[in-house]
Amino acid sequence: MEFQLPEINLQLMAPEIFLFLWALAVMAFDVTTKRKSSSTAGNLALVGLAVTGVIMVFTDQGRGFGNMFFNDSMAVFFKVIFLAAAFMAIGSSFGLTHTRILNHRGEYFGLILLSTVGMMFLASSSELISLYIGLELTTIPLFVLAAFFKDDRKSVEAGIKYLVVGAFSSALLLYGLSFIYGLTGTTDIAQIRSILAHSAVAGFNPAYQESTPIMVMAVLAILGGIGFKLALPPFHQWVPDVYEGAPTPITAFLSVGSKAAGLVAFAKIMIMGLYDLYDPSKAPNDWGILVGVMAAAAMIVGNVLAIRQTNIKRMLAYSSIAHAGYVMVGMLALNSLGLASVGYYMFAYLFTNMGAFAIVALIEDRTGSCEIASYAGLSKTSPFLAISMTIFLLSLTGIPPLAGFFGKFYVFAAAIKMAETGSGLTWIYWLVGVGLVTSVFALYYYANVMRTMYFVETDSPLKVTMSPMAVAVIVIGVVGVVVFGLNPQPIVQFASDMPAALGALLP
Amino acid sequence: MQYYLMLAALLFVIGLFGVITRRNTIGILMSLELMFNAANINLVAFNRYISGDGLTGQIFAIFIIVVAAAEATIGLAIVLLIYRNWRGIDTDSYSVMKW
Amino acid sequence: MSEYLSVLIFAVTGAAIVLFTFFISKLIRPHNPYPEKGVTYECAEDAIGDSWIRFNPRFYIFALIFVIFDVEVIFLFPWAVAFGELGLFALVEMVIFILILFFGLFYAWKKGVLKWV
Repeated sequence: MEFQLPEINLQLMAPEIFLFLWALAVMAFDVTTKRKSSSTAGNLALVGLAVTGVIMVFTDQGRGFGNMFFNDSMAVFFKVIFLAAAFMAIGSSFGLTHTRILNHRGEYFGLILLSTVGMMFLASSSELISLYIGLELTTIPLFVLAAFFKDDRKSVEAGIKYLVVGAFSSALLLYGLSFIYGLTGTTDIAQIRSILAHSAVAGFNPAYQESTPIMVMAVLAILGGIGFKLALPPFHQWVPDVYEGAPTPITAFLSVGSKAAGLVAFAKIMIMGLYDLYDPSKAPNDWGILVGVMAAAAMIVGNVLAIRQTNIKRMLAYSSIAHAGYVMVGMLALNSLGLASVGYYMFAYLFTNMGAFAIVALIEDRTGSCEIASYAGLSKTSPFLAISMTIFLLSLTGIPPLAGFFGKFYVFAAAIKMAETGSGLTWIYWLVGVGLVTSVFALYYYANVMRTMYFVETDSPLKVTMSPMAVAVIVIGVVGVVVFGLNPQPIVQFASDMPAALGALLP
Repeated sequence: MQYYLMLAALLFVIGLFGVITRRNTIGILMSLELMFNAANINLVAFNRYISGDGLTGQIFAIFIIVVAAAEATIGLAIVLLIYRNWRGIDTDSYSVMKW
Repeated sequence: MSEYLSVLIFAVTGAAIVLFTFFISKLIRPHNPYPEKGVTYECAEDAIGDSWIRFNPRFYIFALIFVIFDVEVIFLFPWAVAFGELGLFALVEMVIFILILFFGLFYAWKKGVLKWV
């Protein structure tokens, strides 16, 4: 047998390699150094992320490692989101390192960095094996981080629930992928797509656009697996428990980083790989309508159940389910505007959600409580926090001119543009309608928090002392939300490179 | 070939059933392993019968084995934490969060 | 036939080395029997009694660490099979891989996980 080493292109992978080594270094530093201040490990992690960003600027785009690794503009876009999410999550963790994480700071920050490496690796994978490795490297550190408060029952429960659900979804996904491999004989995503498009594969006949049971089963299993990762109903029950129990910065990281990673996995497998099973002209005989139903359910379930939450982390958890639904609307609009809108939405969501969770973390450090009631009178004692929180909540609702509004706007515009192209696509109008109606519900529960902050009188309003790093994170969030809301063009421009990366596949 | 696929499907369904019905956390983790191994059997069988000389399926299976082991290890470590916190590892015994 | 001859030589040499070391140690070791030495060895647990006892949870941690290192070895196997063809570059890669594993061991050690408290 002849063995041939694939061409090795370490330069393409330089940011990932650096960040990986840096994560190990942070952990090693923490165990070997005796005397250090509580924020050293966190500062080191921030430096590592910044250097990785600089390295990324100098990294070429291209393919490497026997076509397993493909650094394209979509990968770059999402890597920026991942790095920023990790940066803001670490920035809002400094309160925790003073109060609750006293012993294992190196692990805490090292694991966040490792998870970020996994996300970056996932974003530039162009092949099922590397995609799977990236996905697992993303989630496995997050299992540990969710259970990081070892003596806090909620945190441990969040950890085991996240682990069981995460492993379960991976198993489903793998079972589906194994059939895709069996039917096409390859794990290269581009090849899978061209095989499905051009030649008759056992189990799939493109002439009739019909799928045999085995293909249907594979697609269902994959959708189930990714549905769990993205928390689309009916696979969403784990979200509120895990979000409530996990440390707050980790919850923020989960809601932005891990969600964006799930979106990347969805785009890679379903759109780049299985595009030909979603032929809009043959709708509804495809996976498109199935995802549409899941997205609609996500918007309804997320927004309705968020109303009756009294814990702000649970409320934001349900709202993140709803936001996943909105993003999927953009994802389903398989045109160039659709992917760009998904990119913009995630960017807006990054600033908004990370900022909001940074405030939640600050207040939790101070009071130990995440109840919405404990926000009463916040506008009197620290108007800065109250105003920032209001901006974030308004952006989450989608009030112009904030970034969240343009996210929703682009997503729905892309979907309507898609619906106009085909005759069997009237369901997309319904989807957009559901999105618009549920946004009104969203206003209700976000407004409830604002009402509590501004108009509820309380005898003991809380005083919050702010660490400079947390303030920095909140300011970054506010600036991002306002600036990219007033001027969305740069991000849209950046994001619209992505469809080109999919190889002129989309109309 | 179809025997291997049937075996894999059977394992997968047993695992799925186990994850849903088991009350013991370690039982759930074991059922998850069954599901992973169902995918492995599929991959190796497909590799043997479809892609001929290629080794992709087998490589994939090796990676899955390792990742599954890592997941199981972390799962067991969290089970240890559960035991410390609740003195029991049945899923009924620990559930403090309800919607 | 000649390839079986080499197997035979291997077997004989192996057996001889084992017997030789037994013989040498018999010559030089001190002779001091007491009852505990006669007990069946069972990883620091009492070997007599019900096997359905609760094991010390300390074993648990060691088992977890063992599982990880044990399974990682699976990556060495395909490399070892194709070692001849792969050459120096793959050797360097494997050394890096093992160094990363060593980092894990070093880390666990530093954390005090390997101490029997």
